[in-house]
Amino acid sequence: MNATARLATVASRPERVGLGVMLALSIGAIALGAGWVEGPSAAVVAGAMLASVVGLVLVAFVGGLETRRALAPYGLLKPGILWLSLFFLAPLWSMVVMSLSSKESRFDFFPSFTWEWGNYRTALTDFRPQFLRSFGYAAVATVLTILVGFPLAYVIAFRGGKYRNVLLGLVVVPFFTSYLIRTLAWGNILADEGPVVSFIDSLGLTGVLESLNIMDNGKLLNTPAAVIGGLTYNFLPFMVLPIYVSLEKIDPRLVDAAMDLYSSASAAFRKIVVPLALPGIFAGSLLVFIPAAGDFVNAQFLGNPQTTMIGNSIQDQFLRQLNYPVASAMSFVLMFIITIAVLVYTKFMGTEDLA
Amino acid sequence: MAAKLNRRQFLIRSGMAGAGALSLPALLAACGGDDGGGGNSLFFENWPEYIDSETVALFAKASGVKFKYTDAYNDNNEYFAKVQPLLAKGEKIKADVIAPTFWMASRFVQLGWAQKLPVNKIPNMANLRDDLKGQPWDKDQEYNLPWQTGVAGIAYNVKETGRELGSVEDLFDPAFKGKIGMLTEMRDTMGLVLMGLGKNISQISTFDDAVEAFDKVEKAKNDGQIRAFTGNEYLKPLSAGDFAACVGWSGDVLQLGKDNPNVKFIIPEEGGTSWFDTMIWVTGSENGDAVAKWMDYCYDPVNAARITASVQYMSPVKGVQEELVKLGGEAAALADNPLLFPDEATVARLQSWGALSEEEEAKFDEAFAAITGA
Amino acid sequence: MTAFSRRQRIGQRVVNAVAGLGLFYIFLPILVIVIFSFNAPKGKYNIKWQGFTLDNWANPFTESALTSALWVSLRIALISTFCATILGSLIALALSRYKFKGSGGINLFLVLPLTSPEVVLGSSLATLFLNRGVNFGYVTVIIAHIMFQISFVAVTVRARIRGFDWTLEQAAMDLGATPSRAFWKITFPLILPGILAAALLSFALSIDDFIITFFNAGSLVTFPLQIFGASRVKIPPQINVLATMLLVASVSLMVAGTVLGNRRQRKLTGN
Repeated sequence: MNATARLATVASRPERVGLGVMLALSIGAIALGAGWVEGPSAAVVAGAMLASVVGLVLVAFVGGLETRRALAPYGLLKPGILWLSLFFLAPLWSMVVMSLSSKESRFDFFPSFTWEWGNYRTALTDFRPQFLRSFGYAAVATVLTILVGFPLAYVIAFRGGKYRNVLLGLVVVPFFTSYLIRTLAWGNILADEGPVVSFIDSLGLTGVLESLNIMDNGKLLNTPAAVIGGLTYNFLPFMVLPIYVSLEKIDPRLVDAAMDLYSSASAAFRKIVVPLALPGIFAGSLLVFIPAAGDFVNAQFLGNPQTTMIGNSIQDQFLRQLNYPVASAMSFVLMFIITIAVLVYTKFMGTEDLA
Repeated sequence: MAAKLNRRQFLIRSGMAGAGALSLPALLAACGGDDGGGGNSLFFENWPEYIDSETVALFAKASGVKFKYTDAYNDNNEYFAKVQPLLAKGEKIKADVIAPTFWMASRFVQLGWAQKLPVNKIPNMANLRDDLKGQPWDKDQEYNLPWQTGVAGIAYNVKETGRELGSVEDLFDPAFKGKIGMLTEMRDTMGLVLMGLGKNISQISTFDDAVEAFDKVEKAKNDGQIRAFTGNEYLKPLSAGDFAACVGWSGDVLQLGKDNPNVKFIIPEEGGTSWFDTMIWVTGSENGDAVAKWMDYCYDPVNAARITASVQYMSPVKGVQEELVKLGGEAAALADNPLLFPDEATVARLQSWGALSEEEEAKFDEAFAAITGA
Repeated sequence: MTAFSRRQRIGQRVVNAVAGLGLFYIFLPILVIVIFSFNAPKGKYNIKWQGFTLDNWANPFTESALTSALWVSLRIALISTFCATILGSLIALALSRYKFKGSGGINLFLVLPLTSPEVVLGSSLATLFLNRGVNFGYVTVIIAHIMFQISFVAVTVRARIRGFDWTLEQAAMDLGATPSRAFWKITFPLILPGILAAALLSFALSIDDFIITFFNAGSLVTFPLQIFGASRVKIPPQINVLATMLLVASVSLMVAGTVLGNRRQRKLTGN
């Protein structure tokens, strides 16, 4: 990048204007979406947003080359950021408001905001088992995806040669079938009269697996193991790909060099490959843990009444019990815990490596 | 040399994208809608596998009505949650007729979401079975016309159980640990358990009367006796052998029994819950004439028999038994099936729930939801 | 290349075997799905293998509810992918081409929808719609899909064009091209493969989306919703057939895209 471009990185006045306008527009979008303003005030806000866009364009013309250059990125970002503000941030606000509301009667359709903290109490006490279970299952599934995914990524990165992309494609392709159908297929595979259970029976391993709590009374389906297995399977590519990306960057000559210096293969692996793969493992862990914790499809198709996860509960409260306030409280708690994890991660690793 | 960012580029980038992307959804919203009907169309949203394969076409031809039939009604509470946002605001939904279970129909009527049926245009309404007339929530039979009635009892896979079953207690037999299924339909599951405890469910009006049954089911769940609480999806595990026994609905199980002879249905000796799904005309629909024609068509014993021969539930229409015999073959055999045409002794064993107040119903539903683990 | 001891070679083979098992594990359900699409089930559920038949493939669209749900999903995916690709690519362009204040915050903001659980995204958006009195249907589903697709497209495209040499544009302008021409003739064709790849992936995401759609569809039935609802009562082999068709279509598109993209890249940059 040349000198003029580098100048643009300093916070110049046009930049501040651009950033300011973008933030103001985002907040305006949230305000309109979340209903902070109604009726005439809403029209005023919308008008102000329009005016600021127009003003910005005018400034761009009137100002010089530098102004336009500084304002360009904000112009590019505006539409997308506005969309996200309106349909990602505003809903979060709605959710918070709903979580503190209460319904007057069972079929009261418009819960009113009453600072009902009791919803959180309900969410945290009545549904505590589901919360703990969800994080537990997601954690186990994450570990399993590392155990299965790392060798896969390793082999593709180090031994793939010219077939790397094909192999990667093979890993990703199965996940172009419908999520539900894949999970249903596991229901068939793990059924009591299915091939897997018969195979285990014929090997006489049923007792062993039962003592490990994997099988339950001869069943593999409708057990926690089945749910965790489903989670592991469905989120595997989210672990394989980031690990692969990290491993791919490793220069294989480093390992050769280590071994030339009389290191054993396993030590070379431990001291060189693993630490360099850590960013990938971290990224993958978050990409697996977070959606797994909120999942309800696997628990629904592969689980039993004692394996329900928080996602099932939120879905049930929201779509069947019509208990929007408690459902929103539960969502908020889930989101809160996970956001903390994401922030810790970003602090630790930086977002550049996520993609 | 800095990149010259001229007006065109700036405008093009911001403007084009913004306008294009933001206006498309609005444009295409028009695509999604379809018109209300104009009086001669009918949209009946029913439960799955609840009609034979010919009636829809035959009716459309005979009456000239534009008839749309779907089976997207999978669960009473789920459907209620879907339509509440619209009906509560006074807007109309796409369906003209739906067939909720009796307690949900009662709720619709009480919330004012059902219209009075054009009774004078449905002469065949006289064929309604007497025991279904005059429900407490619709004494004058103005709002609902039953679609099918049935019994909830015990369905079992004889290959898995190794023996015949006869009592509600069989569901709690430790030999079947982890292979028992129960329905998410609270009234059917709890009804059976309450009858197993010797209670009369038509007399139950408060949660305290029923709490013993709830505790029993909760204990069974915690002991791992119950494998799953299902809606319609109990049929697959039952057939596959994942369930040894479960609470099920008579017609479904009889249909399944045709494909898999190991699957049987019994009304337990303590009794079975009888229920019915009933057609209501949803508020906001303007197709009264078509609705009347359809209901009249369904209550002609000939057509009702054809439907019954396929779904194998108890028809609410009088005279179906004779029509079935006339159809001959498999259908005639159904005429003798006590699950479709129960004799007096069987009828005496059937009980049905009374009305529950909104408050008590909430307690029942909450307790049940806590058990089903959701 | 260092010589490996026998132990190391066995170790290598073990790792290869584990990876191979992993690949088999990944493909197992897919094999089941494809194989059972050729099954002729006796009952309503496609569980036991009864007999080979090509009937299902001859009549894949006999389940009308399933087919119309697929059509609904395709329409939604086309519209939302189009919009999201434009919006997301603009963001990616802004983030990679320019250094500006707030870019770190934008990076973080973009990642949030991707790392939030779908239950939260879906239920909060549904709450917004409920509060504002918006009826659920096509519009709400498309809005929801665009929302998560923007993030996905932005992050993916940014990764793809990270190594891009922006001085190419300057070179063109030094040779007399206007900035607009430089962009459309030089930059755009080179970043297009990345954009198309992201679009394709987010198209697949939209067709398959279940959880967010479940909360925001109201009475609308998309392909995954139909499978979810209908699978309780029957699982016709047509589901397997349609799923296999979608799979083959997606894979072919990706392969075609990569091949064409590589060829184009080679033509334009001469490598």
